[in-house]
Amino acid sequence: METLSEASLQALYLLFTGDRELWTIIGISFTVSLRAILFAAPFALICAFMLAYTQFPGRRLLISFFNTALSIPAVVVGLTLYMTLSRAGPLGNLRLLFTQEAMIIGQILLCFPILVAMGHSALQATDRRVWETALTLGATPLRAVITVIHETRFGLTAALVAAFGRIIAEVGSSMMVGGNILNHTRNIPTAIALETSKGSFAQGIALGLVLLLLALALNLALTSIQGKGAVSP
Amino acid sequence: MNNPDETVWLALRNINFSRAGRSILSDISLRFCSRELILLTGHNGSGKTTLLRILAGLLNPDSATIEFNGNKLTGGWRRNLGILRESCCYLHQQPYLFDGSVFDNVAYGLRRRGIDGSEIERMVAEALEATALGHLRRRHCGELSSGEKQRVAMVRAWVLTPRLLLLDEPLANMDKPSRSKCLALINQMQEDRISVVLTSHDPQQGELHISRHLHLYQGRMERKNLPAGVDRSPLPESRTRPVTYAGDKTE
Repeated sequence: METLSEASLQALYLLFTGDRELWTIIGISFTVSLRAILFAAPFALICAFMLAYTQFPGRRLLISFFNTALSIPAVVVGLTLYMTLSRAGPLGNLRLLFTQEAMIIGQILLCFPILVAMGHSALQATDRRVWETALTLGATPLRAVITVIHETRFGLTAALVAAFGRIIAEVGSSMMVGGNILNHTRNIPTAIALETSKGSFAQGIALGLVLLLLALALNLALTSIQGKGAVSP
Repeated sequence: MNNPDETVWLALRNINFSRAGRSILSDISLRFCSRELILLTGHNGSGKTTLLRILAGLLNPDSATIEFNGNKLTGGWRRNLGILRESCCYLHQQPYLFDGSVFDNVAYGLRRRGIDGSEIERMVAEALEATALGHLRRRHCGELSSGEKQRVAMVRAWVLTPRLLLLDEPLANMDKPSRSKCLALINQMQEDRISVVLTSHDPQQGELHISRHLHLYQGRMERKNLPAGVDRSPLPESRTRPVTYAGDKTE
């Protein structure tokens, strides 16, 4: 068994020499998670806005549902999706099991509640005068929505970062519906789980470093955006 | 007497509004002529802000009828909201300034009207200069004093030249110089043929050319005689008179 320092040095070597297998895994992780969040974000934003700015029967129940969904384990989402997409499942004929599309669906299900719950909180906390001021200055309701989103951008960006952080690092769903197939559905978390179980720590550490660097980069970006803003009354 | 135009361009009749089973406004009727300055007084909770928000099309009454330029509008309140929002502009007691510069804020409504960028530059610059706010043009709104914020918000509404401007307690918690500058701006708006409704606890608004004084009591409207000390002199005829301030220039 490698010592921690040996494994870490080996990990850095793999990263900086552009190890093909390692970088393919990183590439899959990013493309799958980016596609998932890009697909989920617009719908989640509309949902969050409706919950914050409109009244309809069942609204409170829906808010509670999304808040509860925040704590659903990824593996439960993976299991449910596995049963749905497997041959005998209701969507078995789509033949999506063990594909990147299945992983994307799983990650959408995981990030959607985070985007809605955090987005709703941010929008709910926004001053109601933003909406009214925009309307009274002649904005159409759609333009007023854009203005509210602009004024809430820090809270909404935080929701995006939190949701992306959750899905880029989740193992359960990707492992179950992706199948951890090399060069196809093996992403960073599933690769770390596999390499660790094989006792090969170098690649696991290298991938872990990439995840940590990503978290750091996202947080620096968020801090930088928030730092540029100033609070209006 | 003041000299507003006699033609009624907007009339709202039988406005009723209730919330959670409690009547807030009962059978209120209002009419507006150009160049009118209406003082609306009432105690806390008398329904002043609710009435202004209804007039601005931000709140839907339980029932009301609208007459616009002498024509009774049909099709219900919601269908005619657009007309109210195009004609009226509402300023909160503590106005909200969007995250951005003073210029961005004053230009907001003009941009919504699709006005050309260079024209917006010119209009905003002129309005800010005329109100002695030109030096704040590039300043972020978060850095303004409360008096400056109030004036920037008023200029933001003024550049749109709405037919009716609804000011909710614009002079509350203001020091004397800021108050003086705001009063001068309100008088300037009136000269620009804008009808202004101004709410206040205090019926004494000595430096304003008030046309009518309305009082809300428990959600019902009472017409009052103009209190002693209110300026009853006719408005100056000049419509291009620059805004002058009684107070000093710094805040």
